Amino acid sequence: MFDNNVFIDGTCRNVVENGAVTGFEMQTNITYYRGIPLSMIEYIRVAVDGQDVPVEDIRISVDQIDWFSLKEAETVTTYKWEYGEPLYVRVVKDGGLSAGTHKVKLTVATRTAYIPIPLEGIKEREVTIA
Amino acid sequence: MSRIKTCVSLYSLQDEYLNHRMNLEQCMQFVKETGAEGVEILPDQMIKNTPDASQEELDKWHSYLKETGLKPVIADIFLNTNLYKNRTLTRRECVDLLVKELELANKMGLHLVRLVSMVPYWVLEPLLPYCEKYDVAVALEVHAGMAFDEPRTVEFIHEMKRLNSKYIGLVIDTGIFCRRFPRVVRNYEMSIGCSAALFDYIEAQFTEDGGDYHKTFIKTGGKFPPEVDAKLTDHDRLMAPIQDGYENYPFSALDEYMPYIKHFHFKLFEMTEEGPEYSMDYKGLLQYLHDHDYDGYVSTEYEGNRFTLAGHPMQEKKQIAMQQAYVQACLKEIQG
Repeated sequence: MFDNNVFIDGTCRNVVENGAVTGFEMQTNITYYRGIPLSMIEYIRVAVDGQDVPVEDIRISVDQIDWFSLKEAETVTTYKWEYGEPLYVRVVKDGGLSAGTHKVKLTVATRTAYIPIPLEGIKEREVTIA
Repeated sequence: MSRIKTCVSLYSLQDEYLNHRMNLEQCMQFVKETGAEGVEILPDQMIKNTPDASQEELDKWHSYLKETGLKPVIADIFLNTNLYKNRTLTRRECVDLLVKELELANKMGLHLVRLVSMVPYWVLEPLLPYCEKYDVAVALEVHAGMAFDEPRTVEFIHEMKRLNSKYIGLVIDTGIFCRRFPRVVRNYEMSIGCSAALFDYIEAQFTEDGGDYHKTFIKTGGKFPPEVDAKLTDHDRLMAPIQDGYENYPFSALDEYMPYIKHFHFKLFEMTEEGPEYSMDYKGLLQYLHDHDYDGYVSTEYEGNRFTLAGHPMQEKKQIAMQQAYVQACLKEIQG
């Protein structure tokens, strides 16, 4: 139902820190119709060319200043993922994505206040890394 | 004597807002242009850092109200009982969160909030002093799929009657008055993998004597007749349980609740070119409300946005305007 919110087009890129490529990053809108604290993210998954990346390598941020692992995010209640603003999803990986074309799939699920099952959205995009 | 007034919930413009085609100010200007008198908002959707919104956010909201002349009617609030993954919030935590929402509503110039369906009844008594302090009433949403047969709705209504306060009531979502299954839902679900056989069956459950798929689902435990089951796929069986959020109550189901009803969500799936909504008889309902002296707002809640087919344009503004024009014409005829 919220697949169209997931993985904002054109946002996937390698992350360069101190001259080294330390991973890759993408942005996504929320799979819900309202903002929620980060603790209400049920899960996030990233797959590249059909291979799931380890969840412990995923970091998330709403301000690109403070980053949380998914385990840490479970207790983060004072940072809110606002409706209409992106969540930055980063995968820590030396060298990031190799040059060329990749199929990157992002899965986002949020817990809601009254629906018993998490609201999941999935989007796979073809990404070209220069 | 009844005076029914129109309102638009900004929920109806969620795709325009999410994709930055319209900001809050533009959404409110649009509502004004439809001729509606009031505006409804989900603070969690369009007011940043709710319920701890900054003064700057509040100032913007008030300036838009002033610009448009719209009456701030109601805020739709939620209770994050599942804020944490490893436990459910305690009663005290739940009440504390809701108190903050009431305080925000007060700062936004509102006197009514909608509590989302399934909010537990036991918040009401501890909340009452705060309702009085902030002069904000709380009203539980009665929504299709979670309406008068849902135990948590029943418990809430029981407690509402026991406490008998002007600060406690109900919001009715007109999705409980679907005379037929919305075809935009059928078309959307079929576009992403459901079969026609599933929706032929679901549609057939809507009958003139009040039958609907919600009732059938409860009666059968979600099992299908063998001849239908033979045609279904695994995807159909997975998606079937969430097709029960459209019910077919008679208007008279509201008789005993009228004194408690604070607000209506005029749910909108699809205004058709011929005029009325595909599933709901707004005119019949407005006549019922007029006859029962309803004095309050009926608020557009467009939900066809989430059933828009891939590659098709979003029709939020068009659908809202069509419904407002229709409802306003009905009211002119009924109320003079």
